[in-house]
Amino acid sequence: MIKSGRDGQVLYDAAATLPVEIVSLNKWKLSLKTDKINVTCFGDQNKVYVPGMRDISGTFSGFWNSDELTLFEATEAETPGKLELVPNSTEPTFKWAGLAYMDAEIDTAVEGAPAVAGTFMAAGPWTQPTGVLTQTARRGGTPSRGTHPAQ
Amino acid sequence: MPADSSAIDAALLAYLRADATLAGLLPDGVHMDVATGGAKRFVLVSLVIASDLGQFGGRAIEDVLYLVKAVVFNGVNGDVPAAAARLDALLEDGRFPIAGYELMSCVRAERVRGTEVDDADPSIRWYHRGGRYRVQATPLLTARAGADQ
Repeated sequence: MIKSGRDGQVLYDAAATLPVEIVSLNKWKLSLKTDKINVTCFGDQNKVYVPGMRDISGTFSGFWNSDELTLFEATEAETPGKLELVPNSTEPTFKWAGLAYMDAEIDTAVEGAPAVAGTFMAAGPWTQPTGVLTQTARRGGTPSRGTHPAQ
Repeated sequence: MPADSSAIDAALLAYLRADATLAGLLPDGVHMDVATGGAKRFVLVSLVIASDLGQFGGRAIEDVLYLVKAVVFNGVNGDVPAAAARLDALLEDGRFPIAGYELMSCVRAERVRGTEVDDADPSIRWYHRGGRYRVQATPLLTARAGADQ
């Protein structure tokens, strides 16, 4: 179902057990790019690729909130925390989640509210939602809701 | 329930009304949009534009631009420059409480000055001086309480 991003969430736990929401954020972006290996051979009509390893990384941003230091504390972590990305909290089982390391930035100007931004990258296997369309179309199986190991 | 945005207007008016020096310079009060009949030396406040900045789950910041000016009729003894200066002293980096919000900043964005000549009687003039002031406030308790899961 198409939902608004207004109720998006970014959750994190440095102990990698029970993530809680990082407040005052208003944007996150996840990138799931797989390296493509060029295996083009003599005689091929065009370039041919095979997939390599998928990279999981992304960004998030929002406003500086002195009550919310999670992002900045996470930059000091020597072990990865658990990160969860939820497009809409009314469908909390539809999320991408996994261990991650994070970096953070803060941008302060004389006009406007200080803004924070961060990046993250996977530090272990991630899970992702398996939508009705993808499950049904690709595997012919019974549509299932929730989070499954990332493929 | 979101915070009541009118509380920002009310807090600004209350802050200006509480200043005895300003009241001495402009004794006919601080008014929103329209002054009361008979007022000849007063502060007029009006909302120019109000923008909201969002965060996940709600409103993060309300960014409100107010026109705040001293208005003085030429038939009375009024010190327009002093009144405008007092307004600016109060509002530039002003601090005042807002119910349900935390004030982030209050600064002047533009200076305003003009003279209004009465259409029917050109000898009647109103002097306007002040500025457009940008008030930024963040609603208290805007974040959801913890995770939803």
